[in-house]
Amino acid sequence: MDMNMFQNLMTGFAAAGTLQNIGFAMIGCLVGTLIGVLPGIGPIPTLAMLLPITFGLDPLTSLIMMAGIYYGAQYGGSTTSILVNMPGESSSVVTCIDGYQMARRGRAGAALAVAALGSFFAGSVGTIFIAGFGPPLASFAQKFNSPDYFSLMVLGLVTAVILAQGSVLKAITVILIGLLFGLVGTDVNSGATRYTFGISTLWDGIDFLPLVIGMFGLTEIIRNLESDTIERDPIPTKMKDMWPTRAEFKEAIPAALRGTALGSLLGILPGGGAVLASFAAYTVEKKVVRNPSFAFGKGAIQGVAGPEAANNSAAQTSFIPLLTLGLPSNPIMAIMMGAMMIQGIQPGSAVMTSNPELFWGLVASMWIGNLMLVIINLPLIGMWVKLLQVPYSLLYPAIIMFCCIGVYSTNSEPSQLLLMVIFAAFGYILIRFGCEPAPMVLGFILGPLMEENLRRSMVLSRGDPMIFLQRPISATLLFLTACVVALIVLPSFRQTREEAFKE
Amino acid sequence: MLRVKCPQDLGAGLLFIFIGLVGIYFGKDLTYGSARSMGPGYFPTWLSWIIMGMGAICLFKCFTLNGPPIQRIALRPILFVFAGVLAFGYLIEHIKLEPALVLLVAIATQGRSDTNQKKMLLLAICMAFASVVIFVVLLGQAMPTWSGDYLSAAFTKLWSLFSSAKGA
Repeated sequence: MDMNMFQNLMTGFAAAGTLQNIGFAMIGCLVGTLIGVLPGIGPIPTLAMLLPITFGLDPLTSLIMMAGIYYGAQYGGSTTSILVNMPGESSSVVTCIDGYQMARRGRAGAALAVAALGSFFAGSVGTIFIAGFGPPLASFAQKFNSPDYFSLMVLGLVTAVILAQGSVLKAITVILIGLLFGLVGTDVNSGATRYTFGISTLWDGIDFLPLVIGMFGLTEIIRNLESDTIERDPIPTKMKDMWPTRAEFKEAIPAALRGTALGSLLGILPGGGAVLASFAAYTVEKKVVRNPSFAFGKGAIQGVAGPEAANNSAAQTSFIPLLTLGLPSNPIMAIMMGAMMIQGIQPGSAVMTSNPELFWGLVASMWIGNLMLVIINLPLIGMWVKLLQVPYSLLYPAIIMFCCIGVYSTNSEPSQLLLMVIFAAFGYILIRFGCEPAPMVLGFILGPLMEENLRRSMVLSRGDPMIFLQRPISATLLFLTACVVALIVLPSFRQTREEAFKE
Repeated sequence: MLRVKCPQDLGAGLLFIFIGLVGIYFGKDLTYGSARSMGPGYFPTWLSWIIMGMGAICLFKCFTLNGPPIQRIALRPILFVFAGVLAFGYLIEHIKLEPALVLLVAIATQGRSDTNQKKMLLLAICMAFASVVIFVVLLGQAMPTWSGDYLSAAFTKLWSLFSSAKGA
């Protein structure tokens, strides 16, 4: 470890280690786990719903709390996967396969412990990854010019399509619609108001909160209300069953190491993230492990350790493109970017130099957050199991209240609630037409940035689009984009992608 | 004879074409400019055309490839949830936070036919006060409430009692 990184991390721990920051990290992890464990609400609606709570805090504290909520929600999802065979979110879908089978065998505690310890280890490695790769990548990003940024965003948006469920065509269109929605409001260059239809609320653009809370919070509630009540019957788990046996450790440790390495790498890719990492890790485990004590699908511990480590390390490293390039690689990072912009921070390579305490504080808080998750989850497992039994009929009124207060409190305007309803309806229609709404947030956040970079590139080249191919960085990124497109269109890859989502 | 083989694609195609048309039509008033100096209408108009094109492909696909039907749209939860949210938005300034929240829950929970009315009302009232404590007292957000000042005062009192007990 070089001296500089050590020093930077020290700055970070000093900034993140204040009582206030640790306290809010703790609250974030607790609330995140709480909501992650509760039925019918994944990390995207959780983050959207709790975003307004962090407004009053100073930027670092609010980001620390948001990050804590994210890890908590993600980990809570793993708990429900293992105990009730219901993934709280897409990155723990694969955990269901073997985790639930382990639980049925009476090894629920061991599965949970392996998931928690594996996640902690992976999270720690992910944190070191950010500390090591962040600065070189940020200084490389200084070389980026408008055409390169534009091509980078194209690559990021196209890669995000791979991860969207369902038709590629629809996913691309949903992103494009997001871009268009992002342009609503006053154009910064000309001062012209675009697509405001004379409504003054829209002059500053469509507000982020009504959009995300409407599309993810309210839509989710409506979808849960229309389905019949689902009985959730968690497998009872006690603290004393938590320790894995020596044999289990022997199988889980290599799997967790592989998962960590894979997840750290996949998290950095634009368009990558926790979901991709967990699917990939499961596939790798199935290929690599020759004779597991329990077959995959029948409760193989590798099938829990690998994907869980992978999704956590990817969750950490997916902060790298956001913090160094200003590019959110998945919808969750788009929400984090929205949170940063609301706090007046433009994510990108400048953050590290202009605001080192914020950057390194956030990095240090990731490690603190991961440690807290272990502390919160292992001893308190009995409590989370109880929470799993809370019926949805008691939950959704509280969720609706939170959504409404959150949206109203930002600027006390009734029109914001109308906007939220409109986006909830839009999200619902999209789902009914087989389009996944999540990628829209990515487009929405990137819309203005993409336009600005395209404009600047065109000014640079005097209107010649060849500039995107003449600059080496931009050309490389577009070449990669072309490869990704080819991959998506290729029939054999299409098949594996569909199978991966089916599992 | 054209036959719709994938209703979902039909819906999505029409929706995309509609959004594209709206984008093009309302983008007409904006200066288009040129590639060299892009006006405010340049990028959105391009986007809208592409969205419309994608919609057209979707529409074409719905006649050629088989696909799943559109699931039933459940009007009841949609109507009541939306009505509750809008009622909250337009009434909060007049009747303040607590009644507005109770009303919100009372309306939104009609979205399910098996709602236990009495239990729900009780729950709504408890949660309304809990929300005042969380958002107004602890997070200090400015919202019109009936009980916020009293609850804040009670909290300050409790806090001072607590800290003096610790000091002694």
